[in-house]
Amino acid sequence: MLAKFLLSVLCLSMIAVAIKTDPSRSRSVLGSGSHEGPHLRLLTWNIGYAEMEDDSRAHTKDLRAVADTILSQDPDVVGLQELTGPEQLNILLSYLHKRYQGFVAPAGNSDRVDAVLVKGGGTRFETFKAEQKYAVAATFHPSQSAEVVFVSAHADAFKAERRRVFVGDVVDWARNRPNQSIAFIAGDFNFELNAKDESHLYTDNVKNDSEAYSYLLKYFRDLGRDAGYTAVDDRRIDYIFGPPETVALRRAEVLRDAAVGQMDHWPVLIEVAL
Amino acid sequence: MINQLRLEFLKLVRSRSFSVSFIALTSFVVLMLWGFYSYAERKAGEQVTSQFKYTYESKSYFNGLTFALYSVMFSFSLLIPIFVAMTAGAQIAGERQAGTLRMISVRPVSRVSLLLSKFLVVAFHTYLLVAFFIGLNLLVGLFFVGWGDLQLYPGALNLVDEPGKLLRDEALWRFVYASLSGTWALLVIAAIAMLFSVLFESPAVATVSTLALYLVFLIIGRVEFFEHLRPYFFTTDMDFWRDVFKPEIPWQSFQHYGGICGAYTFGILLLALTIFERKDIKS
Repeated sequence: MLAKFLLSVLCLSMIAVAIKTDPSRSRSVLGSGSHEGPHLRLLTWNIGYAEMEDDSRAHTKDLRAVADTILSQDPDVVGLQELTGPEQLNILLSYLHKRYQGFVAPAGNSDRVDAVLVKGGGTRFETFKAEQKYAVAATFHPSQSAEVVFVSAHADAFKAERRRVFVGDVVDWARNRPNQSIAFIAGDFNFELNAKDESHLYTDNVKNDSEAYSYLLKYFRDLGRDAGYTAVDDRRIDYIFGPPETVALRRAEVLRDAAVGQMDHWPVLIEVAL
Repeated sequence: MINQLRLEFLKLVRSRSFSVSFIALTSFVVLMLWGFYSYAERKAGEQVTSQFKYTYESKSYFNGLTFALYSVMFSFSLLIPIFVAMTAGAQIAGERQAGTLRMISVRPVSRVSLLLSKFLVVAFHTYLLVAFFIGLNLLVGLFFVGWGDLQLYPGALNLVDEPGKLLRDEALWRFVYASLSGTWALLVIAAIAMLFSVLFESPAVATVSTLALYLVFLIIGRVEFFEHLRPYFFTTDMDFWRDVFKPEIPWQSFQHYGGICGAYTFGILLLALTIFERKDIKS
């Protein structure tokens, strides 16, 4: 009887410990720094469709909804991926009532392009080659702040080895901007980092993505880390990376009600104080 | 009770499964060493480092602590549970199959002390297995791979969100912690195997049932269809033992999942005890 009583007490005390130390507490990103300055809103969104669709690039009929999301969230700069080309960008800009300037990267050997939109004027756009693809960047001056460089990029969906080379090129380009510039890298990087859920224990794919992500974190900070998954199947593959120290994170959110049609990604919205 | 413990321990040490478990773990370490060595040679070669501008798989990354970490991580969920289930599953059912359970039960030893002493011996064996495996990996790592700091990266092993490092001495302490947290997590399997050992006539059935239950939850927990059920599987809670290798140990979550594992262990043991006390032993 005594043994049973002791076991019951032990079992109940363990339950009490588990309840008392429940780690599912709400975490706030708002207190991540005392830095106050001009705020900058950044948004990245792969507006393409899920793979099983005939054309997995962005669909023109969805651009109105994309524009509505952008207008309602009012980001200062937007990175978009998987557009079909400059025609779609022009349609989107018209839906945005010309409040944004935009630019698309060359298609290269791909059938889809990345784009970047910046609110207001005075923006310098440029594209650069990363691995076999192109990324697009916008350089602009928010009021009372240093120059901001924003890169929109899309890494290979299928080969981790290519993603690693792509990331290396993008990071090297971004970190070599002039010293005073504040650089952000945004886009769909397709990293498969959640190895715990994989059936295998260790593969080159996991290692390549791990190295690519680690290289990004060597110079940048993953601003959307606590915002959760960004694509179907609970994958976090869309990121916005920013400088590790010079900006204070104010908001990180995945807008999960924004996708329309067969889109398989949600936009990631980040707000920082410069 | 002490006498009972001593007898049970002697029985365990003299059993074939005891030596088999240590031999199997040693063989695994040898295999791991061979795989790790050839992988490190290949991956730290000049060809790879010239192909990519950045790789952490350098000669400093591949050291004895990294070897021990990978070896322990790979074996923990699939290899060590087999031996724990085997030992615990044989405790009552083994006596029954050998025809000794009835005899033991008529001696002036209570069934409570019999079952608890058997469980304590299984717990000790589990700790011995984990500590031996960790110690052997560290020794092999030291002599064949070399010492260094333990570098951790996101993705691989899924331990950290950003690159981190544990200095050598701190990392060694973390392995000591892992021997305790790992044992605590494995006691859930030991308790389930003890319960099945009480329920079933044959130790083989008790062991296989335990492993089947464990593997079903482990596999289902990795299938996306059951993602919403994952938090309710004991296999998910058992994963807390790995947290000791994080640069900053998340103590709150560590205690939470450690508490859940403890509740499973003591709860299942209580159930096994209740059933065993009332069970009619006919064999």
